[in-house]
This record gives sequence, C-alpha cells and structure tokens, in this order.
Amino acid sequence: MTEKNPERKTVLEENNTTAQEPGLSPEERAAAKQERPGTEAPAAPGTKERRFRQTDLPPHFIERRKHPRISTEMPPPAAPPRLEDYAAIIGKPELDEIRFLARQLRGKTVKMVNSTAVGGGVAEILNRLIPLLNELEIPTRWDVITGGNDFFEVTKGFHNALHGGDYNLTQQIKDIFMAYNEQNRQRMEFAEDLFVIHDPQPAGLVASKSPNRGRWIWRCHIDLSNPHQGVWDFLKPMVEQYDAAIFSAPAFTRQLSTPQYLFYPSIDPLSEKNKELPEEYVDKVCDDFGIDRSRPVITQISRFDRLKDPVGVIESYKLVKKYVDCQLVLAGGGATDDPEGAVVLQEVMEAAGDDPDVIILNLPPWSALEINALQRASTVIVQKSLKEGFGLTVTEGLWKEKPVVAGAVGGIPTQIIHKLTGVLVHSVEGCAYQIRYLLTHPEFAVQLGKNGREHAKENFLITVNLKRWLLLFQILLGVVKPKLVA
Amino acid sequence: MATAPQAPAIRSRWARSPFYFNSASHLLRIGREKACNLQELLEAIRTCAESSIFQHTFQTLEEHHFIREGFSNDFSHWAFASCNEVGLAERLAAIDVREFTSIATLRERLVLIVEEYLQKNPRAATRPAMEPFYLMASDLVVVPTPYVARNLEEFAEGLRKVSIHGIYYHFIDARLRLKLNNNDFSVWLETELDLAQAAARLNRIDIYTSTLEGVRRGILKIIEGEIGRA
Repeated sequence: MTEKNPERKTVLEENNTTAQEPGLSPEERAAAKQERPGTEAPAAPGTKERRFRQTDLPPHFIERRKHPRISTEMPPPAAPPRLEDYAAIIGKPELDEIRFLARQLRGKTVKMVNSTAVGGGVAEILNRLIPLLNELEIPTRWDVITGGNDFFEVTKGFHNALHGGDYNLTQQIKDIFMAYNEQNRQRMEFAEDLFVIHDPQPAGLVASKSPNRGRWIWRCHIDLSNPHQGVWDFLKPMVEQYDAAIFSAPAFTRQLSTPQYLFYPSIDPLSEKNKELPEEYVDKVCDDFGIDRSRPVITQISRFDRLKDPVGVIESYKLVKKYVDCQLVLAGGGATDDPEGAVVLQEVMEAAGDDPDVIILNLPPWSALEINALQRASTVIVQKSLKEGFGLTVTEGLWKEKPVVAGAVGGIPTQIIHKLTGVLVHSVEGCAYQIRYLLTHPEFAVQLGKNGREHAKENFLITVNLKRWLLLFQILLGVVKPKLVA
Repeated sequence: MATAPQAPAIRSRWARSPFYFNSASHLLRIGREKACNLQELLEAIRTCAESSIFQHTFQTLEEHHFIREGFSNDFSHWAFASCNEVGLAERLAAIDVREFTSIATLRERLVLIVEEYLQKNPRAATRPAMEPFYLMASDLVVVPTPYVARNLEEFAEGLRKVSIHGIYYHFIDARLRLKLNNNDFSVWLETELDLAQAAARLNRIDIYTSTLEGVRRGILKIIEGEIGRA
C-alpha cells in the first residue's frame, strides 16, 4: 500500500525556499551515486547500492545536517482505518476469525475509561481500538474522568511512585484520589456489559461494580514490578475487586487474587508511524535531514531522556565507526517542552562533538511520518535503553523488517529473542559489537529483520490486540468456556 | 491388447464424513510462579498447572512458528539464553512434543532432564539467571472456519486458505486432544479416504526443522501428490 507523498510546510519553506525544491540537485544526486572504492563492509541491507565515504560528502549533506528541514505544522489527523483495510496485512482467514469471535459478542456493550482523551499512549490505542470494536457491532463508549489540578498532581505522583520513585503518601492525598473517583462515579452511568478501566487514575470506579451486572477489567499499562509499597497497598484492594487484570509484560505484574492476563501493547500497521511509505518519500525525508542513503544508517528513535542512553549510543557508534563507515541518527522529541530533555539534548550534542555523521533531530510531536521514513531508511535500529516500558519503538523497528539492537530491559526481551528476532545488549561495547556484526553480515541482518517482522505480526499488531479483547470478553461473559489444556 | 488394471481414481473419492477446518485463538494468562534459577525452575515444573507445561512446550511452537532454528520450547531457550547452561538447553531442546500424548508424561520428562543435569552440575542450581522465567498458561478458544472438505481437492483448498493457527490446531494441538501420536489431518485421510500411506507420510513432517508455513507446504505437497496420482 502506498501513500501520496505528504506536502508539509517546513522551516526552509518559511524562509522562502520553494516547496518543490528537491532535496538534491541532479549534480548532487549524480555525485552521490558515483561508485567509490575502498569501503570496508559489504552492502548492508537498507542502504543504497553505491556508497561514498564521509570525506566525500557533498556540501549539501553538511548543510542539511546543520539546518534540517523539520515540519512546523501539525497535519490533520488521518481517518481511522476500517477492519477490511487490515486484510492485506494479516490475511483474510485471520480477519474471518476476528469477525467470528465478534459475532458471538454482537450487541454486548463496553465502556472504556481512562484519564485523557488526547496525548499519551493509552489515548492513542483507544482512538484505534474503539472504532474497530464499534465496527464489529460491539457498541463501545469511551469516557474520560475529570478532576482538578490537585487530582492530577496526585495521579502523577502515583505514576512516578508506582515506577519505584520516592513518595510521601498522606491521608490527604488518599482523600483527594478517592473524592475525585467518587465524583466521577456519581457522574457516570454504568449500564454496560463490560467495563475496562485503564491505569490507576480511575481505578476507584470499581466501587460501582454490581454483583448482578457487568464484568470489570483493569488494564494496567505501567510497570508495577517495583512500586512504592504504600501507594500499591492503597491501590491493591481496589484492583482486587476487578474480574480480571491485564498487564503488558509478565515482569510488570504483582501478586493478585484477580486473574491476570497478558496483553502486549500493539502498534497499528496502518498508522502514520507504521504504514508503508513510497521510497521517494523516504528519500525526501533523508534529503531534508541530510542523511546519506549510500552509507549505513544507525538510528535510535526516542525522546532525549537519560534512560534511553543516547550518549551511550554515541559511544557505541564511535566504536563502530573505527571499522565501518556509517552515520548515526538520534531522533526524538521532548527537548522543547521538557527542561530536562533540553539538558539531555545538550549532553548529546556535546558527546557528538564535531562529527558530521552524527545527526541529531529534535522533532515535534507531529513527526510520525518522518519517524516512519527514518526507520525505513535505517540499516540498523538501536534502542539502547537503560530502563524501558514495553519499548514500542522496538516493535516499530521489528515491523519494518529492520535488525534491532536493544537493551535487555523492560518489555524488550519479550520482543527480542536474542539472535533470532533481534539482538539484546547490556553495554556500550556489546552494542557496538552487535552493530558492527550486523553491518558486516547483511545476510544475518536480513534474517533477523524477517523474523522480527513475523514476531511483530503474530504478537504486537492492533489486530492481535483486538482479538485478545474479544477472547477476554467472551471468557468473562461466559460466551465460551476456554479449554485450559488439550 | 490387454491393459493393466488401474488403481481406483483417488480424485473422485468422497469422504464418508467431511473434514471441518477449525482454528484456535489463545489468551495468555500470567501465572503466579516464576523462577530465578534452575532449582526454582525445577520446582515450578513439578508444581505448575498442566496448562503452563502446555504453554511453554506445545503452544510456544505456534507463537514462534516462523522461526526454524534455535527454538523448540521455552524451558530450553531460557536455560540457554538466561542461564547459559548449554548442555541443559540442548537436552531440553531435544524433547519432541509429538512423542507425548499427555502433559503428565511430558512433565515427567522435563523434571527428569533438569534433575539429572543439576545432580551433575550442582552449582548451576542456584546460580542466578539473567532474566526470570515467568510461568504462563493459555486459554484456548476453538474458532470454526468456513472451510469444509469432502474430497482431496477440497482438502487441499482448505489447507491453502486456513490461517496458520488452523494448521497448528489440527497438526500439533491435536496430538494431546486425540491422545494418539497422530494429527487430525492424518486421521481423516486414513479413516475417511483410506489413504494410510499418505497419512503416515504427513505425520512424519518435522515440526522442529521447518516453520508452520513450511509444514503447510509439506502437507500440501503430499496431498497434491495424491491428487496427481489419480
């Protein structure tokens, strides 16, 4: 499936550069395509056939690296796909199975509740999942809890505390949490057959659970492996009132009396971030950012955050660069609206020094298409996190059939089966070695990419997620009695 | 001139009962047990629910159906990747689930292998693994498909069209269901179409050295061969 090359207003366009200006002049393109001898590594997958060394770089690339064309306007949101649109990706039999599972639930009603309608991963998932459930004739309503600043300060504190941070949990804080949950509970109606409550913020709504009607599910998107004990002790009695709890990885769970299910987070293969792109658009984005597609490109996509170890990635790249001529792209956001992100970005730029082959891109939040293109232009994708949630950027890399080198933290080992669907690393040196190996053994890189894509297709696509929801709804409503073991 | 008697035309043979293609969907449940070293794994294997043994041996074949090498069951993979115990990993990897018609006997074999290894390598028992092993289980829901076969041509067509989960369900999961060292496809070919040789050949397709798509191709090759003989 191809998409029209999107036209966006860029920084350079605002400076009176014409929108039609191609990334490279014909002469530059010819220069870029000129065969150059003496490169050390065989052609790595994802690179154009011909390559030239850093010293031969046309001035165009250097200029673009200093002044990348970054779009300044948010594009209008794309219409959510229809179920049928996924047939080309997952196949008709798989789609038929989803429809069959849904048929048995037709008319059952669902309410999903979270704490924000825009921004954040949960809202992104619900924006895609709910239209599909409605299309399958399972009427699904999405409610968002409301609250004052005091409530959201408390829930932000809870969020950090549940990730293991220090927190002073007082009775007043507990009262604020419960008061807003009660206020929302009074405001909402609970007439549906199924209630899916996302994350801790609205967890107290379960007080509306009736013994005669409805099944309640708590979907926890955060890692509870090392929570602040006081906050968890406060939330646990609420969580244990649910009929089922869902976590994103086995390592993220707690001991609960409630049955726990594993739902991997998912990506939408038809979203801006993941859909197929025309090669010309990938070329254009590379031109805009000064990326030379004739040489290997190592990419890490993540916000500028120390836990993503961008400086460690630069150190790894420098070790690789001794042996293989390559470029490093560090692209992400968070450095504009987050003071700590700006500090980390500064550290990253200092670590990069004056190496023109380290391309640092601080992208705005509406850069999904550009990120998609950067991932597709990459020879190796890196996610060298020191701490991680599930790591959906890894999933995105797997889906794009790229060899992924990633830190063995959080949900990443679930996605990367070492040396089968990607490579797990634990150090700067290990990361460097694995990148070198992949760049010099393209056939192995290709096999990892193929396996990785299949792994993503089987486990981490929104259609698989949809199927899991349908199965859980069936089981909880008693539509079907599952077979535990054959 | 006399002509040799011809074999009955397989092509026109109709099954006494049709083959209904099903598929299966699984929902993963997170168990309570986890192992941080091999001694804990041994204890977990001894005591966990049968559905966990099933998940980490049979079911993992479906979840990783696209991988041909280096993967046969989760216990083996963990022994290799997280415990660096290659000898144990090799022995666990050699377990062929097709030889087992009950989870109880499969569990016994797993326990025996880990016990023997730890007797010979006692220090390995409590050496911390790099990543814990979380015991999971799966709830299976059988999903009917529209594909029904009453002869070999329809059977081949169903094989081409059914999802890979359907192949898994009939070819691998069936072994425990039937309590036989056999699979749904072979049973149907033999009992409904009297194709005992084809059924036996089909049953010998190696699930450990090919992907499930490879298994599908292997089955189809046998069926198409039978159709061609007609």
